[in-house]
Amino acid sequence: MALDGTLRDMSLSDLFQVFRMGPKTGILLLTSDEQRGIIYVAAGQLIDAAIMASEDRSILASHDEAVILMLLWDDARFTFRPTQSVLDRPLRMKHDSEWLVMESLRRRDDPTQVISYHTITLDTQLQLSPLPSSAESGVSLDVNQWRILSQVSSAPDLRTICEATGIDPTQAIRTVAELLAVGLVEIVPPKLQTSKVHVHEETLLHHGRAMLGSGLSAEQGGHAAGRVLLDAIMRRVRGL
Amino acid sequence: MQPLKIVITGSYSAGKTQFIRTISDIETVSTDYAVTLDEERELKRETTVALDFGTIAINDKLNLYLFGTPGQERFDFMWEHLALGALGYVVLVDSCRPGHFAETQRLMARFIEITDAPFVVAANKQDDPSALPVSYVRRRLGIPLEIPVLPCVATERLSVKTVLLSLLRHIASRYQEDSGEGGAESVED
Repeated sequence: MALDGTLRDMSLSDLFQVFRMGPKTGILLLTSDEQRGIIYVAAGQLIDAAIMASEDRSILASHDEAVILMLLWDDARFTFRPTQSVLDRPLRMKHDSEWLVMESLRRRDDPTQVISYHTITLDTQLQLSPLPSSAESGVSLDVNQWRILSQVSSAPDLRTICEATGIDPTQAIRTVAELLAVGLVEIVPPKLQTSKVHVHEETLLHHGRAMLGSGLSAEQGGHAAGRVLLDAIMRRVRGL
Repeated sequence: MQPLKIVITGSYSAGKTQFIRTISDIETVSTDYAVTLDEERELKRETTVALDFGTIAINDKLNLYLFGTPGQERFDFMWEHLALGALGYVVLVDSCRPGHFAETQRLMARFIEITDAPFVVAANKQDDPSALPVSYVRRRLGIPLEIPVLPCVATERLSVKTVLLSLLRHIASRYQEDSGEGGAESVED
């Protein structure tokens, strides 16, 4: 097995975050129409990379520049194959993945396209990411990124952040896309209406009462029969 | 009266049949047919078109039934029937295929429409060294913190037991809230 998909399913910046979280070691292969990319990952760190022409396998870019160019690809198939052999390769990258992601964002016209599966609006709620950032990261944030980041933990949504900072909403959405791509913030998942979640009591009580049989007390005729049944199911599953 | 049942759902090739096969007391009943679409055949040769069915005997008179739904969305007319009266359900997701996340989100949204039963999400294939971490699966699927998201290896009995027990605890917790009783001491942990 291997982790595989397309960059529309999962962005390269997301893959880099996952590699750091693991941390994972292996080879990431990317295939676009006419080019192939390869990135070597050792204990979550990018250590080498290259882009080749599919036709003649000539090297088109290598090291940091290759990763930055791959980060600009909007669609390609990827496969990540774990292998410890990467640990024997020398480090040939100058910058860490966060710096490379930020650099690629600077070259993009529209950073919101980087993570196409996240929709950012003024109603989007944000939280600081719990992901570990590289301690030695050389990434430097611009003023707008710092201003938004400083408001994330206290503001309920992006609209409030815009009001508090005076940042234009369009610019704020672009900046949030950048912070998402580099893994500094996350979108808060929607709150589930837990009041809408209910146990099918009729089934539970019917079978609970049947299980307790004629020895049913008045109290066990109510919710207790359901609880006794759930206890019995849990005991049985635990004993499997 | 509905039988005591738990539904195992998830997108195509998430591991539902294996999950039931690993824990069932009986040889599971599957209705697998050869895959017809090329892109699906790349993932597996046979697929469940009606349901998978397994049992766990609670005592000599009472069985807990495990029903696996067909994963392909074109068979979603079966989901409503299978979910009716279920105690709860498990949403299985393949941790190595981010391309299935959007389908899993659509499936979860549909199930929330169909049934108000409690559910947990199980991130399957966590024994694969390339598997996406559970925290990433939660983030990408947009699962609120109150819904358990668990690591799972559908081929391992202990892992499947842990997922089922987590669902049962979730059901017990909701049941106590529904019945207006505080505290968890009356339901075994």
